[in-house]
Amino acid sequence: MAVLDEPIKEVKVLKNYIDGEWVESKGEIVDVVNPATMKTISKVPISTKEEIDTAVQAAQEAYHDWRRTTPLARSRLLFNLKALLEENFEKASRIQTQEHGKCIDESRGESRRGIENVEVACGIPTLMQGYISEDVARGIDEWCMPTPLGVFGVIGPFNFPWMIPLWSIPYAVATGNTVVLKPSSEVPNSQTFLCELAEEAGFPPGVWNMVHGGRTVVNGMLDHPDIQGITFVGSTPVGRDVIYKRCGETGKRVIAQCGAKNFMTIMPDCDVENTVSGMMTSFFGNAGQRCLAAANAVIVGDDDKFYEDFVARVVDKVKNIKVGYGLDESIQMGPLRDEAKKQNVLKYIDIGLEEGAELVLDGRDFTVQGGLPENCFVGPTIFSNVRPESRVGSEEIFGPVMSIMRAKDLDEAIRITNENPFGNGHSIFTQSGASARYFQYNVVSGNVGINIGITAAMAFFPFGGLKDSFFGTLHTQGKDAIRFFTDTKVVIQRWF
Amino acid sequence: MTLHTASEGISFAREMEEATAGYYEELAKRFPAHAETFNAYAKANHKFVANVQRTYYGVITDGIEGCYAFRTLEADDYLLDVELGGDVDLAGAVAKAIKNEETLVAYYKEAAEQSKGVMHDVPHAFLMVAKKKVARIDELKALAAG
Repeated sequence: MAVLDEPIKEVKVLKNYIDGEWVESKGEIVDVVNPATMKTISKVPISTKEEIDTAVQAAQEAYHDWRRTTPLARSRLLFNLKALLEENFEKASRIQTQEHGKCIDESRGESRRGIENVEVACGIPTLMQGYISEDVARGIDEWCMPTPLGVFGVIGPFNFPWMIPLWSIPYAVATGNTVVLKPSSEVPNSQTFLCELAEEAGFPPGVWNMVHGGRTVVNGMLDHPDIQGITFVGSTPVGRDVIYKRCGETGKRVIAQCGAKNFMTIMPDCDVENTVSGMMTSFFGNAGQRCLAAANAVIVGDDDKFYEDFVARVVDKVKNIKVGYGLDESIQMGPLRDEAKKQNVLKYIDIGLEEGAELVLDGRDFTVQGGLPENCFVGPTIFSNVRPESRVGSEEIFGPVMSIMRAKDLDEAIRITNENPFGNGHSIFTQSGASARYFQYNVVSGNVGINIGITAAMAFFPFGGLKDSFFGTLHTQGKDAIRFFTDTKVVIQRWF
Repeated sequence: MTLHTASEGISFAREMEEATAGYYEELAKRFPAHAETFNAYAKANHKFVANVQRTYYGVITDGIEGCYAFRTLEADDYLLDVELGGDVDLAGAVAKAIKNEETLVAYYKEAAEQSKGVMHDVPHAFLMVAKKKVARIDELKALAAG
């Protein structure tokens, strides 16, 4: 089957996009490496404090005019962007695969999810309407209206280089705010391309800015008095101890979407074939590098035969997963994003063995298709007899590792699930409506799947977890995003 | 070769549709009395692929099992013969076209069956194409019968 063309053919030094101009950074330049081929595909600057300050200043200056632009006019620019995103769908998808490593089907899925957020934000003329009460007292009317706040900072992660900034930016600019985006320096090409399309769509200078970089840029955002709020997706330690804390100290709104350890409860009455299929994407999609990836399979009941047959079917399917470069259409799992992430997964495989879990499928012993360098690749891995309180059973691994455990009944499965500190996306596979309802009612999770392995909310629903998976109040996407990016002004009026 | 991913399943369908479209274009040249029909078939093949691709691009998401769309879809089970021999008559050429269309119908039906639990609208798109191809087979049979 065909290996698709790589869209990035020439190594370029990426530029920042500030105030409608593509600007060279004065910061250190680092390589962006394709994790499947280990070839350098671009170079990205680690921008300076002065550069983030310049971008925020440009965004602040643009805000005054942008907030006066009518919602309908803002919406039209989003429609322009939507058309460009469709036109460039395949190129955007291939860039994601080239810089991140995920399979082309996964990248196209990411492209689609991103576009859906633009589509929802296109409805801003109605989404942003306020409400009114006539005659709250005789001759007095009162109404409330959402108003924008100013400049927002968007900090993107490495695992969804295209989609995740689109959980925030379309809503931020649709509501009349301006943004400064910092993409992950590991995968900066996707957002660079998105900025090019935003420029082509006609967003005025300063409305949509992008500054490449690392900690200096993040700190510059967190400390800047003109930034009204931050959206962040990343690890729990950074999200909780840095982003959430500093936003509290500096009076910023914050959405910090963080780590996860998702449990998949398998009931003995599940549709086995479809459950096993659903597990593949959930555990091994994106090489396990997503906050909604399942990590633990909890098989319910004391029927040993069901357990053994089910595990055998899972192992049989998993061991045939084709691992390689995601631009090869036949590949089902790509590499981890970099070598450090691979080492982290290997460390957890060692920990699992030390903890006494049974290594049913060893991801250290696998074949990469196409003779590629193995630097960032790990094969799918399965542990059984995992204790939920063990490190492998409780900590976020962020790799293609499935931990199988047993529970005597649904109550125990829910207890095990709820005892974990994370609460992002838990799911149940069953044919019983009663079991499904009992699970969704009692499980503590921001997203719940019923016969769905990836509990990703559509763009018109809010997305966010609970417990250590989320820090903030409102979420990205949909109506929550509209509320996050607006303040509420209440007017009470009387005329003499 | 076993097809697993949605991407390769759809690419394979495109290859088959393009190959048979080329075959119909050859038939149109060889049998000018039926050129309009054969050219229309070639054009429709491209539309079939476009419809399937549009459906796929519309529903594919990061939550869908795109990399595990098919279980045991064997490309080798769906080989086409699109070589038009030098001395073949209309009946022979059309018989080959019918055989190819039957292969395509079998492919679309099997692809739909295997992906129905995981690919949402895409299996439906496969079946819609299969339905149109069944109708085409009847037309081809009528054509061959003169």
